Amino acid sequence: MTWQLFVFMLINGLCQGMLLFIIASGLSLVFGVLRVINFAHGSLYMIGAFLAYSLSTVLAGESLLGFLILLMVVPPAIALIGFVLEVSLFRRVYRQEHLLQLLLTYALVLILDDLVRVIWGGEPRSVTRPELLAGSVDIFGMALPSYNVFILLVGPLIALGLWFLLYRTRTGNIIRAAVSYPDTLGALGVNVSWVMTSTFMLGCWLAGFGGVLTAGLSNIDLGMGMQTIIECFAVVVIGGLGSVGGALLGSLIIGTGLTFFQLPLGRWALVFPYALMALVLVVRPWGFFGKPER
Amino acid sequence: MERGKFKVLLALVLILFSATLLVSSNASAADVIKLGFIADVSGIGAPFYKSQKAGLDMFIEEINAAGGIKGKKLELVVRDSQLKPDIGANQARELILSEKCEFLIGPTSSAVALAATKVAKEFKKIIFFHTSNAEALTTTAFQPYMFQVVPNTGIEGRGMAVVLSKKPFKKYSLIGPDYAYGHDQLNSFKSEMAKRRPDVVILDTVWVKLGESNFSTFIPTLMAKKPEAIDAAFWGGQLSAFIKQAKPYGVFKEAPVSSLFDLDMLRATGSDMPEGLTGYARAPFYAIDTPQMKAFVKKYYEKYKEWPADWAIMAYDGMIALTEAMKKADSTESEQMVKVLGGLKFNSLRGERYIRAEDHMANVGIYSGVTAKSPDFKEFLIMKDVQAVPAEEVWLSVEEVKKLQSEQK
Repeated sequence: MTWQLFVFMLINGLCQGMLLFIIASGLSLVFGVLRVINFAHGSLYMIGAFLAYSLSTVLAGESLLGFLILLMVVPPAIALIGFVLEVSLFRRVYRQEHLLQLLLTYALVLILDDLVRVIWGGEPRSVTRPELLAGSVDIFGMALPSYNVFILLVGPLIALGLWFLLYRTRTGNIIRAAVSYPDTLGALGVNVSWVMTSTFMLGCWLAGFGGVLTAGLSNIDLGMGMQTIIECFAVVVIGGLGSVGGALLGSLIIGTGLTFFQLPLGRWALVFPYALMALVLVVRPWGFFGKPER
Repeated sequence: MERGKFKVLLALVLILFSATLLVSSNASAADVIKLGFIADVSGIGAPFYKSQKAGLDMFIEEINAAGGIKGKKLELVVRDSQLKPDIGANQARELILSEKCEFLIGPTSSAVALAATKVAKEFKKIIFFHTSNAEALTTTAFQPYMFQVVPNTGIEGRGMAVVLSKKPFKKYSLIGPDYAYGHDQLNSFKSEMAKRRPDVVILDTVWVKLGESNFSTFIPTLMAKKPEAIDAAFWGGQLSAFIKQAKPYGVFKEAPVSSLFDLDMLRATGSDMPEGLTGYARAPFYAIDTPQMKAFVKKYYEKYKEWPADWAIMAYDGMIALTEAMKKADSTESEQMVKVLGGLKFNSLRGERYIRAEDHMANVGIYSGVTAKSPDFKEFLIMKDVQAVPAEEVWLSVEEVKKLQSEQK
């Protein structure tokens, strides 16, 4: 492998990782605060993608503006769905055992997936990339799609935004406090249930954002939610459940790993995320940035 | 177990039980012939399904309007196998046992087909394959109750090798879906190419999971060894996703891509489809010049306001062969019909065809051509300079078939 090809593959892999990060960080954040593993996260991501598709057919046009509107409108819509789900369902199971939570979120997966089937049908769809992002960028004579570069740029912005929110604002302080000391927080007079609702909505917003980006990248279909949620689990197990920084690291490792191992390993490259996940579970069950359960 | 809970459980079991009784009791009407269609309704096969269903519906409508078969009307029962073999096998059983279907119609996925053909054999029900086309269905997994009216993976892979061997390219990279269809297709391509052009090198074969439509991690690997041409064994939604994503990766500037350019894929890819790519189709309506096809296309367009894709044509042809067998056997019993399947002649939309006795493979070949814009069709490209590669030129010889069948698992 020439060093040019190496750099190209690295950049290409980071693009993949960034997309994965946007989705997985939502899952991780929700677990960190709510202590619920939300299986339905993948379904919400899928709904985001299909909403983006429907909206794009209305907006008609391959302008950058139209695409930015999708990115502005769809994620809040998913956050709104999240709001309804949190208030009506999730709130009831926080203190229940994990099995019950699992049943609830898995039931949601089945319901939401069938809802998508009823509304949009089984056909794969995609969103046409805006003209400005439909071309490619030259990297050492190799063409990299501008759309992938766009994801590569948006990913760090999201990461930076999350970091700022969590570590530089009062809201963030409260969210982080809710992760570590939920009881104390309540005793201090903070409305903990509000913190939980808004964190859940933020997680859903991220799922929706990832959905819109995916709709422009590849086909979207009924299976996408399940496939992605499994990859997200690998990410958060590697990075540490509840840690957004961990999700970033895990996503980038998986994204670049999948790209690089494709060349020497071929079809076996698919095993990489899960092999790494298994290894992390053995060596450091709480992940790179996670904390051991008390 | 507590008493209360036990009662609830008992009640539930009773309800479920009576529900199944209800289902099975109302499904034995004698004046219809039910055809169970194990279909890949959702996922990347969805557009194919629509076309298949349209073709089948049209045939059934026509034959019922003409009085049906021996006074019995045909009726289609559809189940979604979701490209999953285990689901497909269960549904084949369900179609036979609770829906009382007398015939089965195959799916899109070869993997599902291989599972369904076993069920058909077990229950001795005739099944035909119009889209799923693993060569194994006629060889190592052969059973006499099935027949195939779609060019199989061997005919396609070797057929494309025949076409491409006439081109100057020496370095190929291959990419395909990682399941029966992709493997058969590319292996046949490789072996035939090696025979015809020993100087051709296959640089790499990239396998992608069936249904995966994000090619970002695969395309750089495919191009890493600088191939001069690419043979891709994708189909349908996966192929159009591949072509759309390959474009900004600059693939078409480096190497032309050959694959299955069926009408549904060409429609889905639209203006993203590059011109000048050599590919093939199974039944391109615009290039097959028979009076039956002309009449069919006209009727189809009037009914559905769109052109018939390969899948509609082949499903329709399958029904022609099936009803022809009923006529020849003068029976709708599969035991009687199976006796006449070998050697059965039928007047397909693609012209006169017959079912070879040894492997129940219809002599259907492929049609190769080069993608081009056409003034007649604005929304999609078609293939021009279409050449038929007849089945007889590339299908397995009877000796090869018999040898493979004797190795049956």
